[in-house]
Amino acid sequence: MRTRALNPEARLEGPPGMGLWKLLLTLAVAGSSNAFPGSEAIPALLDRAPPSLHRVHPGLGTNSSGKPQLTKCRSPELETFSCHWTDGGRRGFESPGLTQLFYIRRNTQEWTQEWTQEWKECPDYVTAGANSCYFNASYTSIWTPYCIKLTSLGGTLDQKCFSVEEIVQPDPPTGLNWTLLNISLTGIHADIQVRWEPPSNADVQKGWIVLEYELQYKEINETQWKTMDPVASTSVPVYSLRLDKEYEVRVRSRQRNSDKYGEFSEVLCVTLPQTSPLPCEEDFQFPWFFLIFFGLFGLAVILLLFLFSKQQRIKMLILPPVPVPKIKGIDPGLFKDGKLEEVNTILAIHDNYKPEFYNDDSWVEFIELDIDDLDEKTEGSDTDRLLSDDRRKSLHILGAKDDDSGRTSCYDPDILEADFDAGDMADGPSEVAKPQRLKGEADLLCLDLKNQNNPPSSDAPPATQEPSVTPAEENKSRPLLLGDNAQSTHPTAHAQLSNPSSLANIDFYAQVSDVTPAGSVVLSPGQKNKAGIPQCDMQLEAASFCQANFITDNAYFCEADAKKCVAAAPPAEVGARAEPSFNQEDIYITTESLTTTAGRSGASERAPSSETPVPDYTSIHIVQSPRGLLLNAMALPLPDKEFLSSCGYVSTDQLNKIMP
Amino acid sequence: MDNKALSLKAGSFLLLQLLSNLLLCRSVDSLPICPSGAVNCEVSLRDLFDRAVVLSHYIHNLSSEMFREFEQQYAQGKGFITRAINSCHTSSIPTPANKEQAQSIHHEALLSLVLGVLRSWNVPLYHLVTEVRGMQGSQGDILSKAVEIEERNKQLLEGMEKIVGEVFPGVKENEILSVWPGFPSPQAADEDSRLSAFYNLLHCLRRDSHKVDSYLKLLKCRIIYDNNC
Repeated sequence: MRTRALNPEARLEGPPGMGLWKLLLTLAVAGSSNAFPGSEAIPALLDRAPPSLHRVHPGLGTNSSGKPQLTKCRSPELETFSCHWTDGGRRGFESPGLTQLFYIRRNTQEWTQEWTQEWKECPDYVTAGANSCYFNASYTSIWTPYCIKLTSLGGTLDQKCFSVEEIVQPDPPTGLNWTLLNISLTGIHADIQVRWEPPSNADVQKGWIVLEYELQYKEINETQWKTMDPVASTSVPVYSLRLDKEYEVRVRSRQRNSDKYGEFSEVLCVTLPQTSPLPCEEDFQFPWFFLIFFGLFGLAVILLLFLFSKQQRIKMLILPPVPVPKIKGIDPGLFKDGKLEEVNTILAIHDNYKPEFYNDDSWVEFIELDIDDLDEKTEGSDTDRLLSDDRRKSLHILGAKDDDSGRTSCYDPDILEADFDAGDMADGPSEVAKPQRLKGEADLLCLDLKNQNNPPSSDAPPATQEPSVTPAEENKSRPLLLGDNAQSTHPTAHAQLSNPSSLANIDFYAQVSDVTPAGSVVLSPGQKNKAGIPQCDMQLEAASFCQANFITDNAYFCEADAKKCVAAAPPAEVGARAEPSFNQEDIYITTESLTTTAGRSGASERAPSSETPVPDYTSIHIVQSPRGLLLNAMALPLPDKEFLSSCGYVSTDQLNKIMP
Repeated sequence: MDNKALSLKAGSFLLLQLLSNLLLCRSVDSLPICPSGAVNCEVSLRDLFDRAVVLSHYIHNLSSEMFREFEQQYAQGKGFITRAINSCHTSSIPTPANKEQAQSIHHEALLSLVLGVLRSWNVPLYHLVTEVRGMQGSQGDILSKAVEIEERNKQLLEGMEKIVGEVFPGVKENEILSVWPGFPSPQAADEDSRLSAFYNLLHCLRRDSHKVDSYLKLLKCRIIYDNNC
């Protein structure tokens, strides 16, 4: 081994006299060098594990320590390769020939983990230039690991391992030329096609190596190159070069799939033909701005002319008037007069009340019948007053200018209005105290009841008729049974009526549940408890004011009341007509009432039970013709058997049980 | 082999290649494509070769990237390069080492060698995917590439078998195959050894994919274009 290491010295071309000096120098170098751990024994040592191999990165070529280093190994065409190293900077002291390069390549059979193989020396130091080693095709094995090391006088300076396919860096393309593709219409820009040839040593034709190319160009006096994307073909178009400039173009290549480019080719100068030197507008911009501006201006002028002209027709076309809403119902006169309370009441009940008017037709016939009877009765002073009062009252209350409803019928708003008037003015029965305005409805109710009762009570014989009359009138006279006012007035209950506390318990607004044929309004019951004991509570003097026994939990008759009333009436009535008895009661015909009439005989008198709470609003289940309203019992404790005991509503089922 | 069956197989292979081409974003300029579902589709050898080359190029690309990523992520400064000089399991297959050797070998032999190499990588690729999945902190990139390579390798093998059948009809199936020794078992080896084995495998994969790619390009130019690509 040692001889081998020394043999290369024979190649050195130094002057013979220098041999001794060289020897001394190399010894000195060897001694001072740090890179020689056991220097003599490095090559092909059997037992020692290979020193740590490291890749020499070409970029880190700073030879600070001054010794030669492997810079780069490169294969241009995947058939040969060469390695280069730096000199080390120690010129003059060290002969360049001292450094040697050894390589070892792994063959399938030879390579083992240990470095048992022999290092071979570089076959060609010349072809690739100074400080290089060239491996020709016979020495090159692709896909075979190589390791090389740089030695000097036996000491390893550097080592490197690689495979040939990893170090491929093709030569630059050759034969660059360009052709003009076209010139733009404006004569400012042009496109050219640049062509080149692949490097001569790359065997692209046989497909041994596949290359891709990258082109760069710039203007002559620029510094930054513009780069185009890599292409696989050997020609590429370059677009949009200015005709008055000169350009430089260069191309470089690399093996596809690798990332190392070769060197750049020579620079190609592109001098484009000069065309007319006249400066030309790049594009003609349509004067959109002016067009739009003047167009809008003209339109504005025309529009203004139209607007300010006196031509109403055109004005209507352009600016049609906005339709104004028209709402029926409230007399503007009320506003003018300042009768706000009436307006409030109107607003409160209007929705509920209004439809009732449209039922006039169905009621008319019936009412007429009644009225015919009534009229005879109402010739009485009280009735007359009532009616007249009703008229006024209703007008005040509703103020509805509803042309649809027949104003002449007694259940008109006029009549209803009269009720209020009666109540307000405390006319009629003097016992009626002056009702408070807010609780007018309650008063009215009581008052009406009182009034209504008067005639029937006075006219005992035509009891059959009166009860029907009174209810009608009642209904008429009570267009609004608001809230809890279900204070069934009784003639003798006026004192109670006048009790302000009672009135205080009445709700201001109550839902009108129905309008009886007589024209009076039936209100849905409010809170029973609120009502306390209705002042217009019926007294339990059955005979005197049974008809007025309108126990009203909110204007509904408790069967107790009904019972009482009915009891007062001649039995014949009871037996003959259930309905008229209802009419007596006039306020609300509930199934209960119906049943009470039927079963009155057996019904025991009850105190105004009215204990069961009645909801404010109850939906009507059936409208018993013509005077009954069957309400849906809601959340009412229905008595098991004696539904009659509850002052409330009877459900349909119960009713059906009772009634055939 | 029956012509019809061959055509059918070629057609299906062509469809697979088309799919791979789409993935590769390559412009398939004027290669005739069999309409899907066609039974009697004649695919030219040229198309088969073109697509095989595209596929092998793609596989080499992927394996290079995968190796680079693995090196960056796991093997920095660990000196794996030392141990990477281990032999690859396909070293036993006598593939030509340079251009002259490759040119001097006959098409048939070279194709058989290519098939052998591709076949030998089926098992290691499968295990590679499994191992990468189980690796600690393995990034999705490496795993996806491994999966892709495994799939493409199978496709390429299939395509090559068809080409062989077309170029050399009647040749008996060769049995060139080198067995992969497998990864060191988890119990026996420490983490470093396992990573080193991994590194080695990826290094070998890159090398072998480049080999196959070069051989196929050479063959394509030789067979189809008559040495005038």
